Amino acid sequence: MSAPPRNQLEAMGLSASCADVVRHLWDYLDDQLTPDGAERLRAHMASCTTCRGYSDYQACFLEAVAKLRTGTDAPSSLRDRLAAGLKSEGCSCWEAVKKGKDAS
Amino acid sequence: MVGLAALNSSTTESAADAARAHDGPPATPADVERRDAEFAREALPWIDDVYRFALSLTRDESDADDVVQETYLRAYRSWHTFIPGTDCRRWLFTICRNVFLRSRERQRPTVDLEDGEQDALAAGTVYEAARESGYGDLYARLDIGPALKDAIGELAEPFRSAVILVDVEDLSYESAAEVMGVPIGTVRSRLFRGRRLLQEKLASLAAEYGLAPTSAGSDR
Repeated sequence: MSAPPRNQLEAMGLSASCADVVRHLWDYLDDQLTPDGAERLRAHMASCTTCRGYSDYQACFLEAVAKLRTGTDAPSSLRDRLAAGLKSEGCSCWEAVKKGKDAS
Repeated sequence: MVGLAALNSSTTESAADAARAHDGPPATPADVERRDAEFAREALPWIDDVYRFALSLTRDESDADDVVQETYLRAYRSWHTFIPGTDCRRWLFTICRNVFLRSRERQRPTVDLEDGEQDALAAGTVYEAARESGYGDLYARLDIGPALKDAIGELAEPFRSAVILVDVEDLSYESAAEVMGVPIGTVRSRLFRGRRLLQEKLASLAAEYGLAPTSAGSDR
């Protein structure tokens, strides 16, 4: 998919401010914008339902991706194997591997 | 499979790791004891995180086990290169990704990247199309976790690493850049491309499975 240039976004009916939101929303949500830039986007979104909708859409997406972080732990078979590997290296803390992160 | 037999366990991590070296390997029993205590305290709490990252990269549980095993053995052997007080999780992720890349025939994929901004704009058009089709609130309405996990697994490197490190593992752009060994701007480009590809995939799945749209275009 080819991305539309700015004038094309504006031709789609988006104002220059809306085009800025489309262009920089990820930077804003990632906290990568300057304070002035972030404030400009915030001020526009406060008065533009379309851009608020887009911001909600992207925030929901990022939240869903972040949720993938939970729920996958190293299997006990891997901890056993890793403990054996560290033991063979002479590591005295090899038993701590089996106890899991709560005991570390 | 990632061909882990090709791994060279004795290889040191990188020039960056060499630059971290401070005291050198432990020389006395007291040094060994101190090193092991530090390793247990700093490195072992991140086994689950490293496993999750390895699994995301390899998409195979057995290969992920191999990568984690190799990552921790390398980390232990080169513990003297870890700088106390720095982010050990990031250091382990760097080793993990290097282990993974070195296990593949093509170690360092080179992708012709567009500017990240182009992907941000393209994502806007994906949203617009989804909204027009009544899928504008797809992420809020449905549990997209399973589909998202599959879609991330299908992302090509290096986009997958960027999404996993920043969006799943919550690393800063700067930390992800260090793990991936690229400038921060490249992380941004790869991240934005990865997000855009994921959103296109999810929109395509929604249409493919005929998910019931909300009233099309009514939210404008």
